[in-house]
Formats: sequence, structure tokens, C-alpha cells
Amino acid sequence: MKALAVTLASAALVVVGAGIAPAQDANPEPPSAADTAKGLQEWERIYAVFSHPRCANCHVEDDHPRWSGPEFATTRVHGFNVQRGLDGSGMGNAGLRCNTCHFETNSSVPHGPPGNEKWQLAPVEMVWFGKSSEQICAQIKDPQRNGGRSLEKVAKHVHEDELVGWGWDPGPGREPAPGSAEETFLAIQRWVAAGAPCP
Amino acid sequence: MRLTVNGKAIDIDADPEMPLLWALRDIAGILGPKFGCGIAACGACTVHVGGVPVRSCVLPVGDVEDNVLTIDGLAQDGRLHPVQQAWLEEQVAQCGYCQAGQIMTAVALLDEISDPTDEDIDNAMGGNLCRCGTYPRIRAAIKRAASLKAGA
Repeated sequence: MKALAVTLASAALVVVGAGIAPAQDANPEPPSAADTAKGLQEWERIYAVFSHPRCANCHVEDDHPRWSGPEFATTRVHGFNVQRGLDGSGMGNAGLRCNTCHFETNSSVPHGPPGNEKWQLAPVEMVWFGKSSEQICAQIKDPQRNGGRSLEKVAKHVHEDELVGWGWDPGPGREPAPGSAEETFLAIQRWVAAGAPCP
Repeated sequence: MRLTVNGKAIDIDADPEMPLLWALRDIAGILGPKFGCGIAACGACTVHVGGVPVRSCVLPVGDVEDNVLTIDGLAQDGRLHPVQQAWLEEQVAQCGYCQAGQIMTAVALLDEISDPTDEDIDNAMGGNLCRCGTYPRIRAAIKRAASLKAGA
């Protein structure tokens, strides 16, 4: 019975809370010009991460991850006919899945495959490779194209996801994404607080 | 550490960072998987771990947590695996160096897709290089193996 009472009390709080939230949403404080400028500065930090080859190489529009970045003379598709996978899994095709070469850790040999146990392509709607800052900003704010996440959950994902975290720990011979997961998480929070402006 | 390779338990006394291929060839004396590039770029070292084809030249032996199957363990009770049989019937090999890896990838493909199309074969075999250029015969052998498996 006590548990039921607590549950009901919690439900009441939720209802009260729900009553407050729409009023706030209906009349949001418009961000000031200063907030927007500050938000755009934060977005530039975020975009530098999202567009970095460690992240963008596997956020592709087509079925082919890329090899690009300072380690490569030119941008090219991933060798060996590696693809997203006919099943749409983002983990390759029968006989040649990502985990045929990409294991739990980075290979220590020069030009060996990097690794993480969650290695796979990002979903096709989350396209960053070759996209502009404006396009990536619109995508990351669109729940239809960001995995159904609020911006708070986007920040949490960047902060905690192991494969995202690999971008700052890519092993020898590969340039890491700028900053850190913590710095990017905080930049997203500041960007959201400033109204999450896009260029 | 203890590995199970081709159904047999093998004790490996080695640095966990040693590539599985080194442990197989230099410690266990299992010579079917071959060293080619050493960076997972040619496929000659392909073995299965837990049924998944992997490039053993870059997989740390300390990370192996499932049964290992090499081409040495593919035949059962003196009978060649259908993929091996098809390879013989199509006379695929030329120098043969890459063929252990080719066969192990083909086995994995047929385990998932019993009647692969040309596209399925190209998608699966793209990471296994053959400098003799036996690709047309590899494709024919995979299709023959699919028929052999279906008739078995």
C-alpha cells in the first residue's frame, strides 16, 4: 500500500509538472542576439568534432564508409568492397562483417585496423560526411534523423557512448577528433542553453 | 591461456597481445592460416572464431573467447568440407597461398547464405586478395559448393 501511495504521489507530481511545462513551451524566452552568437560559437566546436574524419568517415549517405583525413593522401571509399550491408545493419555483409577486421581494441601495428566492440556504420539518416555545418546542425536537431533523441540525449550519447568515445582514442597513426567527449558534451549543453542556433 | 582450436584444447603461453596467427603457427604448429600482409588487408590469415571469420594476423590472442576453426579442422572424419571439395573440382588454386583464407571466408558466407548470388559472393570475398587472379574460379567453386551442400 505504501508503495502505491508513493506511486500515486509521484504521478501527481508528474501531472503538476506536466501542467507547468506546456506553459513554458508555449511562451519560450526568445534567445538574445548575444545568446545566439555564443551558441553559434559553441556549435562551431561541435561541428569541428562531427565533421572530423574520425566521426564523419562512418556517417555516410551511401553504403560505403570512407578513408579520409590527414593519414590519407586522398579521400576514398573503404577498401575491400566493405559496405553497410544488404540487411541495413551497418555491419557489413555475410562473410565480411565489420568484426572480421575491427576487434575490441585498436590494432597496434601501423595501418592496422582500429577497433571498438560496437564498430559499425551510423544509420543512413545520420549523414555527416560531405555535409555542411548548416546541414549537420539541422540533422542533429531533427528527432526523425537523430535516433529520436532530445538534444539533452544527444549530449548524453556523445558523452557516454563507447563507439563515439573511440573518436578521441583512435590508436596510433590516426588523428583524434578535436577536444574530448567531456568538452564536446559541455559544448552541446552550452549550445542548447543558448537556444541551439544553427548557422 | 587455453584455446580450443579445431576441437582440441591447446595451452598457449604467450603475451595476450600476440596476434592469434602467431600463436597458431609458431606455438601450436597449426600452419594452415598464412601470413600475408599482417594488417588485415589481404585475408590470407582468415580463421573462424565462434563461427565468425576474422583476420588472425591482427586479433590479439588474449581477446579470443570462443572456439577457433582453421582450415586444418574443416574436413570431418576424413571427408572434405563441401567448399574444399568444390575447390578441388574447379581446380581453383594456382600458387595456393591465399586459398586457406579464401576457403574460410567462403565457408562463412555459405553458413549465412546457402545459395549466394554473384553480388553476395563479391560482397563477402572482397577482403580476400589473390595475386594469381583466381577470382572467376573462386566464384564458380562457391556456387558448386552451394550445390554440394544442398545435395548433401
